[in-house]
Amino acid sequence: MDNQTQTRNAMTPTNTTGEDGLRIDQLSVLRGMALVISKLSFRQQAGEICCLTGPNGAGKSTLLRTIAGRLSAAEGTITCSVPLVYVGHTDGLSGAITGRENLVGWAKVNGLLAPESDIDTALAGFAANRFSDLPVRVLSRGQRRRLALARLALAPPNSLWLLDEPNAGLDRASNDSLDQLVTGHADRGGMVMAATHLDFAAAATPRSLHLAGIMPETSSASAQGKIG
Amino acid sequence: MSPFLAQIERDLMIAWQNRQDLGVMLIFFVIIIALFPLAIGANSAILDPLGIPVVWIAALLAILAGFDRLFAQDVRDGWLDQVSLSPLGLGWYALAKAISHWLTAGLPLLIMTPVMAIMLNIPTIQWPPLLIALLIGSMGLTLLGVIGAALAEGARRGGALMALLILPLAVPLLIFGTLASQSEDGIISPHLMLLGAVFAVLLALAPLVAASALEIGETETGL
Repeated sequence: MDNQTQTRNAMTPTNTTGEDGLRIDQLSVLRGMALVISKLSFRQQAGEICCLTGPNGAGKSTLLRTIAGRLSAAEGTITCSVPLVYVGHTDGLSGAITGRENLVGWAKVNGLLAPESDIDTALAGFAANRFSDLPVRVLSRGQRRRLALARLALAPPNSLWLLDEPNAGLDRASNDSLDQLVTGHADRGGMVMAATHLDFAAAATPRSLHLAGIMPETSSASAQGKIG
Repeated sequence: MSPFLAQIERDLMIAWQNRQDLGVMLIFFVIIIALFPLAIGANSAILDPLGIPVVWIAALLAILAGFDRLFAQDVRDGWLDQVSLSPLGLGWYALAKAISHWLTAGLPLLIMTPVMAIMLNIPTIQWPPLLIALLIGSMGLTLLGVIGAALAEGARRGGALMALLILPLAVPLLIFGTLASQSEDGIISPHLMLLGAVFAVLLALAPLVAASALEIGETETGL
């Protein structure tokens, strides 16, 4: 265990490799006592979309949270030189204040310059203007998810988006908006890594990283993480 | 606006929406103070010297009682994930939480204190040292509460126990605070300086301790 995962601060990246991309080397992650990800190596370049596929419990969320620095790796390194934006199972919205206040607060805490017009555009992208001035606690699951995803429109163009089941609870129109946002981001040189069961960003022909999951008895031997 | 101020602004907006919590805390403060004379009886020879200690004990309990859920909401709705990826960092985040919590709990309590001082028949000459000492003391207790809340969040099991472990650390604040409040040689007494020293140590340590507690809590239990 010579090479521990370095702790990174997303918006002040440590550029150790001198390249714009994500690099995962020999990553192993434990949850509890179980090995969830074993010796995974993966490279992602600017402008690429990666779909994480695999059965439940294969380690898709674990991988995303480890890249986001919210779980520590047992072994291996993750190097990422660009800002990270994470949208997970929890939306990161406070129920007490309105969707717009949540979004503006997020932009400010991330030090992003977000004029009122940008906020409006971001909300309009998911047709969230109609309910953005209501307290989040009265909104439905899909509406909250749309507010959480509206952050992506404010993110820096070179950032890496980590999306964990982004289409959970979304209607068809919002799904299309998400597709457009993701492909547009990749076209502008951004990176997206998404765990999803659904067809996603079909126009962009994304790469997929299949996590097979680890059987307990073969945990030490199995090398997994086929890259397609 | 800097990320730090933005975090404070966000917490104040949320606190404003949950402003009934403030009322509960203030009523708790008043009730503790009101219970002492009821229990001790109407003997002013005993009650008079107890005025300042009673205010301090009530303030300590009222401030620390409001802390158990300080970080819980942010953990549950995922805001902590967002903060940890932001340039703000968990240390500044913890300090911002302390400031917003003091503004919504410590400051109203301080404003309420003169009313309580009248109720307890504390002579007006004692008010300035009491209020100054309580100002510094309440800020110190807030920082202590931030440590306790972060530890409680880190250790999912036995969170309440962690909060109890913090209580003994409040003893220096209580001792120097009550002595400074009762000082008869001017406002700036040696006890006030010692109280200020304890506060200064907490100000330096609390954000760091809270940040590492939140970091450990997140990475080890992983939600």
